[in-house]
Amino acid sequence: MWSRIRSWLRSMLRRARMEREMDAELRFHIEAFAEDLVRRGVAREEALRRARIEFGGVERAKEECRDARGISFLESLLQDLRFGLRMLRKNPGFTAVAVLTLGLGIGANTAVFTVVNGVLLRPMPFPEANRLFLVSLTPRGGPFEWQPGVADHDYLAFLGQDRAFEQIASFSRGSTVNLTGAGDPAQIPVAYVTTDFFSTLRTNPEIGRGFLAGEGEPGNDNVAILANELWKERFGSDSEILGKAIRLDGVSRTVVGIMPPGFAFPGVSVWMPLSVRINEHNSFTRPVVGRLKPRVTPQQAQAELETFAERLPLGPGESKRDRLPQILPLKDLLVANIRPSLLLFAGAVAFVLLIACANVANLFLARATGRVQEMAVRSTLGADRCRLVRQLLAESTLISLIGGGAGILLAFWSLQALTALAPAGKVPRMEMIRIDPWVLAFTFGLSVITGVVFGLAPAFHATGDGARESLGQAARNVIGGHEGIRSALTISEMALALILLTGAGLMLKSFLRLQAVNPGFSPHSVMTLTVDLPDSRYRTANQLQGFDRQTLAELSRLPGVLAAGAVNWIPLGQGLAMGTFQVEGGLRPPGFMVDKPCVSPGYFRAMGMPLVRGREFAGSDNATAPGVAIVSQSVARTLWPGQDPIGKRISMEDNPKPEDWLTVVGAVDDVKQQGLAKNSEPAIYQSYLQVASPGFLSHMTFVVRTALSPESVTAGMRAVLRNVDNNQPVSIASMDSLMATTTAEPRFQARLLATFALVALALTIVGIYGVLAYSVAQRTREIGVRMALGAQSVDVLLMLLKQALLFIAAGIVLGGAGALALTRVLTRFLFQVKPGDLPTFAAVALVLTFSALGACYLPARRAMRVDPMVALRYE
Amino acid sequence: MDKQMDLLQGTLDMLILKAVSLGPLHGYGILLRIQQISKDRLEIQQGSLYPALYRLEHQGWIASEWGESENKRKAKYYRLTAAGKRKLQTEAEKWNRMADVIAGVLRSTPEEV
Repeated sequence: MWSRIRSWLRSMLRRARMEREMDAELRFHIEAFAEDLVRRGVAREEALRRARIEFGGVERAKEECRDARGISFLESLLQDLRFGLRMLRKNPGFTAVAVLTLGLGIGANTAVFTVVNGVLLRPMPFPEANRLFLVSLTPRGGPFEWQPGVADHDYLAFLGQDRAFEQIASFSRGSTVNLTGAGDPAQIPVAYVTTDFFSTLRTNPEIGRGFLAGEGEPGNDNVAILANELWKERFGSDSEILGKAIRLDGVSRTVVGIMPPGFAFPGVSVWMPLSVRINEHNSFTRPVVGRLKPRVTPQQAQAELETFAERLPLGPGESKRDRLPQILPLKDLLVANIRPSLLLFAGAVAFVLLIACANVANLFLARATGRVQEMAVRSTLGADRCRLVRQLLAESTLISLIGGGAGILLAFWSLQALTALAPAGKVPRMEMIRIDPWVLAFTFGLSVITGVVFGLAPAFHATGDGARESLGQAARNVIGGHEGIRSALTISEMALALILLTGAGLMLKSFLRLQAVNPGFSPHSVMTLTVDLPDSRYRTANQLQGFDRQTLAELSRLPGVLAAGAVNWIPLGQGLAMGTFQVEGGLRPPGFMVDKPCVSPGYFRAMGMPLVRGREFAGSDNATAPGVAIVSQSVARTLWPGQDPIGKRISMEDNPKPEDWLTVVGAVDDVKQQGLAKNSEPAIYQSYLQVASPGFLSHMTFVVRTALSPESVTAGMRAVLRNVDNNQPVSIASMDSLMATTTAEPRFQARLLATFALVALALTIVGIYGVLAYSVAQRTREIGVRMALGAQSVDVLLMLLKQALLFIAAGIVLGGAGALALTRVLTRFLFQVKPGDLPTFAAVALVLTFSALGACYLPARRAMRVDPMVALRYE
Repeated sequence: MDKQMDLLQGTLDMLILKAVSLGPLHGYGILLRIQQISKDRLEIQQGSLYPALYRLEHQGWIASEWGESENKRKAKYYRLTAAGKRKLQTEAEKWNRMADVIAGVLRSTPEEV
């Protein structure tokens, strides 16, 4: 081995000397041979000639010697690359088109891979993050399946007997607090974490300390740890902050630590201690993270968890099959929801690259025709086919590497557009998205593979059997074989484009369907103001109602305001309160649960929800008045089919006392509470003045319908809030924009797929144009002969059209079949559209047909204008 | 057997090793030596001799240096290395075993089978 490397190195370093020596050695051989012949009586001239013939091809022997040395590969690669570069420089137009096409394909793939790499692949920023796993025991099926977590009582039991994990911590996320006293009041995302949380993640505060054991206990829990970024922005990196108190939701908490920069898991800015205790009435289910012991595999942990789940006592009506024990990578907590759509984009963008490959392969094939002579000469001079193929592959790889370079630039720009367009807050780990060495390696690998993929067919064709024989013939005669490959490439290009277009069409249609859904209210000209009132200041229902009453009164006095109202959970918002209820003198159908919003008088008018029967709530429906309720249409239909709901009585209590009964005074339309794609929720509305539990009133959204443009009342609304309580952060948004955020994800998906599909379509059109134009150029003479023999230009047009239509038909049949098979993966993204939706398929096929025919226009015009005389002289 | 035989695949290397094992030789000398010891019964393509020499040198079985030929000209001489010696030994053993087996097979009579 060592001698090989040494010999290789030596020959690399002393290449010139080796060549000289090789020459000398071979010359010596031939001369020595000739001298022997001379000694046997042959004339000197003749002897030399015979010696040379006897020896055989000197150049060939030299080439084989170089091969034997093992230097040849790298050397000839360099040679190939130098030669390739020269060829590319000689054809700048060809090179530019090929590089641009490939740059587009590789760039799009690089951009999507950068996102996939950042969001899905890069490890969590913790030491030994690959040992961190989520423990989950969620109910199988249902809405919580994708929210990994463990119920508190199971968590405590698991802690007691677990042997797979070094450390385990539980935490809750998704809540916000009001930070006051540090600039404008602001809503800050927070997490409550058990005291082992930071040590499980092996990340300690940069300044100060983590939580101490027992710090989650009531009375001992008024401490907080801040994210580095929050500390910087809100406290000016105050180095004296440790031990100081900050106000969160009106409660003062002592800062004990500042995390290192970049640490925000699970997407929060403040951490507060949590102690998990069993509470009779409530059992929270929270995510649980554990660090595996060294040498314990996730499979062992999974087995342990399954055994544990087997032994858990079952609750009433529960079966063991209901629980889903899972050990998941920690990242899944953040990225499980986004994974399918990212993979979808990655798949779509790979199609774009394939189409780009087909295009460039066609270009290369066209050029190969012009180089048949060159190849023939080189092959006659002793270059073997392998060598020629290698040289052509070096050229194509060179082009795709340059394309890859262009692609990285393109990716760099399109990433900014991509992250700007991405639905805000829906893409986790955005901060991890960047072009890192892995991305560069990916692009490099992809470029090399691309170069080989699109270069292989042209290379083999250019050096095929025809090449050798074509020496001395007109090159035109041997190109017939390419026609087949070129057609196949064009057809597959069209098929791929059709598949992408179909996918994009389906997504677009689904999105339009979603946009057209009637939410049950009229969102235009409506502004909303949302508050989350802290219980430190608003402890009782009375205090909360006081805030609401004053805010409502001031809002309705703003100029341009037609109606103002309030609701605790706004439709299409973040939350809902579902529950059971009792019906007087009747039975509630089993499993029939309703949404229970608390609303103010004026709410239905402000939202534009038509009152179908009865009356709205009034200011007099207060705590001292008899209880009233307004039901949605579907509640009325379900509970009292065919009857007037007005005057019926229901109760929200399980065992209602006489004063708990509410009389139905009105009925309104159903609204979409959970999302446009979901069913309308049956709802029973209560007057907010008759709700006694503060928990139902602390979160409130005020809605204002205006006669002016909705944005014009923003300043007034801000002033109202400041006037009523200037410790509340301002959160104002138009109802339209709130609705837009609920459809942001499908809009983004449809847009991105449509972009990819359009790029694919454009590439395909260019491809079809190229093939037809080339074919016309090749057949100029044939066309000229036909015209000289009396063919009309219409006949020529028909001839071309026939070729184009053949492509189109084949492309549509193949692409249609492919789309039918592949669009099934879209099922989970589609709303009210089936993956095999016939109108979409038909529309897309039409678009493709017309685009392809459009691409024929120029070549056809050129063909029809062929002058027979010129064509016949063409040679 | 007067007719020349084509060289069996892979035997050229072995013949070269054998030829230089008797003393350093230049390329042309190796050709002559092989023809001489085979009594001109083996045909060697001269063009394929040098690639084989370069290959054997690259593998470290022979080494080369420039010297002076019989007629006072500069020539490149090849000699066997220690590794080449071992290689020649194993190759020769392999060849003999193989030849025995093949010969045995060809000698076999219908009764033996």
